Amino acid sequence: MELLSNLGDGLAFVLGVVPILTITLGVAMGIVAGATPGLSPSMGVALLVPFTYAMSPTLALILLVAIYIAANYGGSITAVTINAPGTPSSVVTAFDGYPLTKKGKPGMALGVSLVSSTVGGIIGTLILIFFSGPLARFALKFHPAEYFALAIFGLTTVASLGGKNWIKAFIAAMFGLLLNTIGIDPISGVSRFTFGISFLYDGFALIPALIGLFALSEIFKQLESGDFSSQQVESGKQEWPTAGAYWKLKNTIMRSSFMGTIIGIFPGAGATIAAFISYDVAKRVSKHPEEFGHGSMEGVAAAEGANSSSVGGALIPLLTLAIPGSASTAVLIGALMIHDLTPGPQLFISNPDIIYGLLASLLLANIILLALGFFGSRLWIKVTTIPKTVLFPLIFAVSIIGSFAVRNSFFDVAACLAFGVFGWILRRYNYPVAPIILGMVLGNIAETNFIRAIMMGGWTVFFTRPLSLGMLVVAAASFAVPLIQARKQSKIQENDK
Amino acid sequence: MKQVLNDAKVKFTLRALGLVMLILAFLLLVPSAEAAFPEKPIKIVVYTGPGGLIDISARKFAGIAAKYTDVNFVVENKPGAGGIVALKKVIQAPANGYNLYACTKSNIAKFVQVGGNDYVDALSWVAMLMADPECIITNRQMPIHQWADVLENARQNPGEQNWVGPAAGGLDHVTALKIWDKYGIEAKWIPFKSGGKALAALLGEQGIAYVGNPRDALGNPDLFIAAVSSPQRLEAFPDVPTFTELGMTDLENEFMWRGFALKKGTPPEVIEWYDELFKKVSADQEWRDFWAKGGIDVAYVAEAEFYTLVSEDAKVFEYYLKKSDILPGDAVGFMAKMASGTTFSILAIILVCLWLSGSYMVHMSQYSAILGRVLVIGFFLIVSILFLLQSMNFPSSSAVGPAAVPRLWIFMLVPLNLLLLFKTFRNNEAVAETGPRVDIVLSFIGFLVIYLFAMQIFGYFLSTFAFIIAGLYYLGYRKWRNTFIIAGVWILFSYLIFYKTLYVPLPLGMLFENLF
Repeated sequence: MELLSNLGDGLAFVLGVVPILTITLGVAMGIVAGATPGLSPSMGVALLVPFTYAMSPTLALILLVAIYIAANYGGSITAVTINAPGTPSSVVTAFDGYPLTKKGKPGMALGVSLVSSTVGGIIGTLILIFFSGPLARFALKFHPAEYFALAIFGLTTVASLGGKNWIKAFIAAMFGLLLNTIGIDPISGVSRFTFGISFLYDGFALIPALIGLFALSEIFKQLESGDFSSQQVESGKQEWPTAGAYWKLKNTIMRSSFMGTIIGIFPGAGATIAAFISYDVAKRVSKHPEEFGHGSMEGVAAAEGANSSSVGGALIPLLTLAIPGSASTAVLIGALMIHDLTPGPQLFISNPDIIYGLLASLLLANIILLALGFFGSRLWIKVTTIPKTVLFPLIFAVSIIGSFAVRNSFFDVAACLAFGVFGWILRRYNYPVAPIILGMVLGNIAETNFIRAIMMGGWTVFFTRPLSLGMLVVAAASFAVPLIQARKQSKIQENDK
Repeated sequence: MKQVLNDAKVKFTLRALGLVMLILAFLLLVPSAEAAFPEKPIKIVVYTGPGGLIDISARKFAGIAAKYTDVNFVVENKPGAGGIVALKKVIQAPANGYNLYACTKSNIAKFVQVGGNDYVDALSWVAMLMADPECIITNRQMPIHQWADVLENARQNPGEQNWVGPAAGGLDHVTALKIWDKYGIEAKWIPFKSGGKALAALLGEQGIAYVGNPRDALGNPDLFIAAVSSPQRLEAFPDVPTFTELGMTDLENEFMWRGFALKKGTPPEVIEWYDELFKKVSADQEWRDFWAKGGIDVAYVAEAEFYTLVSEDAKVFEYYLKKSDILPGDAVGFMAKMASGTTFSILAIILVCLWLSGSYMVHMSQYSAILGRVLVIGFFLIVSILFLLQSMNFPSSSAVGPAAVPRLWIFMLVPLNLLLLFKTFRNNEAVAETGPRVDIVLSFIGFLVIYLFAMQIFGYFLSTFAFIIAGLYYLGYRKWRNTFIIAGVWILFSYLIFYKTLYVPLPLGMLFENLF
């Protein structure tokens, strides 16, 4: 088979000394970029583009993709250790990862997140290598109506996220959606709710909101409780998952990896929706749904498997159609252009060495990630043993520099602080904050595609296209089922009284 | 330990302080005598994130310019609001030539929408360095892909054709409007988040034509360039007909340009210095080769002519944006008047005051748990009302205008909150997760606010150093030696990683920036 021989050539190339060093360097830098709140994978990739001018095109791409993969994993480290998701997609990892740390088991969360990331990344890559052609043709058929249906499906995960507090969860999600409408309307070009503040023309940036709502509100909460003289975890004894524990998670990891790859293909939808939906599904099929949100290893595995495998999915439209599936891949297109390569189907014919070198390097990068992550985990777990009196001021410092770095703007720093205070107040009154992030991520996709679909096909288009109708029906069911279950349970409890 | 700090600690503290003083003194004593321009690195302010075409242009320019001048060019990304954020950075700095604005024609569209001609006139348009013609791209797999067929189809189905492309009100949209206008046809503009996503829609046969750069069609054989708006055929695309050849003489020169501008009022000798440099860079072989590969024309248009071009562009944008209702019309009706201007601000202030005084009452009251919950609900309701009033102000030319979706969220937010309010009063249990030390939280918030203000004056490094030390002290950490090491290591880390390696332009503070 031509594909296998090409892939063999690619593997032979990446197993050289220089490519291995390049990948290792990329993975190491990616982990750091991902773990630093404020440096997203796309920024990590973008910031390094200028350094790759002097490299050969294959090596440059290999380096950038290694950073991209590793940064997606790196986000989970701070999510687990200090509840500060480094990337939007690792918000979901924090749901269970941070509770595990609070229980004194950060090693369990870090171990599961590393292994699920690696397995997810490899599955995503394999799907990319063997099925990119047909999947790309399928992706082209997505109409705005289907994007809208996907966004609605993503929103319905709030119903099960919220549990008993579902009204509050929905209020938070709706508020996130409303916040997302601030700025210049991408469809009509009219500026909305900006009150003449030019920083608001692009709306609130996601990263400062993320840092504020998660990291800062968590510190405020712990400060309020008055308990900050200790450290999070006793140093010395650390628990890591056993091989048996990983084996138990195999179904969750496999399922989330497939879902992550498929959702990753939707240009623009990406890692965050993949993580939310996969977490939701894992909770529904789990034998222990009650553990979700309180330190479930399945929850961590579902989130990380999905967000890492979405990298493979996002690369499908990029390599086969030259269409970026995420912000990071958009930067990769720029990098290809600088090296005088035009991404797209022609590239497979004109430069197969580059394409297959890249695909082979993806496999290797995941393996190197596993190795670096394994030793690294022993190092950054120490973060949890830093006394809180030292840790808290440092987290403030990290948050401030991180939110400034997003757009080099003070406005974002102030917004981060405001979101922190807001998140603290909400959490005092039992509102979950994650739905706000989900709303801010999905708002744009939902709105623009809703209007685009109507412009293109009228109001009925959502119900006349079978794929869109099917997704909306699934969404409606996934919205209704947890509410009905919750109602039944509360009735049973009342009867018991 | 509380009473007396031992000798070693005192010594260390003194040493650390001494070191800081020394650095300060050194920085202050660096001579700042008058010298010819340029005497320090020049910032190129880029209005997008890293990786876009304008960013690549700026970085490439910096690289080539290094051949001709000793001064360093540093690229600073200030993304946001289609260039307004970067523009403000440039026009708020002194007009000394040290902030070079990397601009494109798309900026003009945004300037017109936000600030009219004021923004165009706030800059000296120093040089246009690149121009690439606009073109129409179609899908070769669709039966209608030749320009004549597209036109024919548009005439048969007026207003039914879907044209895809990037954001509404941008250059490509206005070019499409102009093409429709000149041919007297009607079609729909379906905007996508990026050109790439619009091309995906074109390949997915959801649209009939795409407006953009000829380079966008490279790499995918299904993409077909139907017509290009240039006086002659392009060297890189010899098979593509121009509009003139296709019988439309009014569309021979629609192009995207990229160039540089400085703040208005920059001294003429500085502009002369730039003129020299731009001339040399435009003539540079490496520079020309780099852009020729992508089919981008290297041009050089100097100040006077460039300004004429920009003001022409501004007029065209204004005309077409008004025509397509993107520039807001005059507000009508009582509600719209209510929602606009001062009335709105006063209303907003009153509501916020009410909410704040409510919060204070909660803090003081014995019913604080339930009142607090009610206040959070009240906050969401207030925001909903304010947003609803604002949305009365939006133009509503089509069935699903810009107000539709925000109102949809508001109409879901309000009943949910009312339902919650009802539930809160019905089962009156205290569910708030409150702790005993609200005072610590409030003082920390105060610290952070002071820290942010201090950063503007004393710069990031000094104020962060002080903040970390103060924070550790306030939380009861008393190991002085460690405190200084922690703060010092953080400063070093943020300097080396963020400031030096990642080029994050951390503020140095007004004190320093004005001194040097």
